[in-house]
Amino acid sequence: MTERDALVIGGKKLTSRFFLGTGRFPNPFVQKETIKASGAEVLTFAIRRINLDSPEDDAILQHLEDGNFTFLPNTSGARTAEEAVRIARLARAAGVGNWVKVEISANEKTLLPDPLETLKATEMLAREGFVVLPYTSDDPILCKRLEEAGAAAVMPGGAPIGTGLGILNPYNIGLIVEEANVPVIVDAGLGSAQDVVQAMELGVDGVLMNTPVAKAKDPVAMARAMRLAIEAGRLSYLAGRIPKKKYASASSGHEAYIVR
Amino acid sequence: MEVVLNGERRNVAADTVSALIAEFGLGNKLLVVEIDGAIIPKERWAATRIGEGMKIELVHFVGGG
Repeated sequence: MTERDALVIGGKKLTSRFFLGTGRFPNPFVQKETIKASGAEVLTFAIRRINLDSPEDDAILQHLEDGNFTFLPNTSGARTAEEAVRIARLARAAGVGNWVKVEISANEKTLLPDPLETLKATEMLAREGFVVLPYTSDDPILCKRLEEAGAAAVMPGGAPIGTGLGILNPYNIGLIVEEANVPVIVDAGLGSAQDVVQAMELGVDGVLMNTPVAKAKDPVAMARAMRLAIEAGRLSYLAGRIPKKKYASASSGHEAYIVR
Repeated sequence: MEVVLNGERRNVAADTVSALIAEFGLGNKLLVVEIDGAIIPKERWAATRIGEGMKIELVHFVGGG
């Protein structure tokens, strides 16, 4: 991405449109190399109890050198707005900024976000001065409501978390983009570079991915593929595609065929 | 004394938050302390006393999406 086409969220100027999750990587080394290959500036995390019987486990920030990252802790594990607010406050108390991804799942099988609790949590956290990025269902009206509640960006899912099904409802994502006055980040459900290009061509401002990169056979190579897909999709969107037509139209015109 | 630490009843020797963190070898970690629902900022760890039955949470960042 160029300076000219920067993305601004919560007053912060980002040059990468890739938001990367930090879960499920095979090991810290691969994770670090993957982050580097992705070019991502925003990294997501979760907050959990420390395992007191083996404190040497996976405290994630220990493995990251001080890059110029923006940390986006999520509220996974919360089932209500109040629980999400509690987790967000704990994250802020760690001193790594005031961004938070609201993530409130009400169903263990689909992990789909609870729209009512998500809206409530967004309102409460925005009032407390957080930069709030809610993970939400791909509902254009709900995304509008979240924006009105103070969301700094909205993050509709393409498909349920970790499924790799791609964008199940491109029509809705397109509508969300059309209506939004805040950045739109497609979060969850993407599987490969083609899904990323599709998202970017729909006009979204960025994508958040974890599983399709971390669980790829080669996470570092996949991060690079996704990075290029984001760039290709963004450029294609800005360049403006041709309309689809039913029949052929010759590239060199019909006049003066030499052989006729 | 007995406290509820990260959801489990445990006997601890520490009488302050700082001592508790040292007791579990967490001194150099980025972590957040919550006691009975209230966050204890780092600058108050040394002065905050631990009492019988308190609900203490020690949390940190882990990988997530």
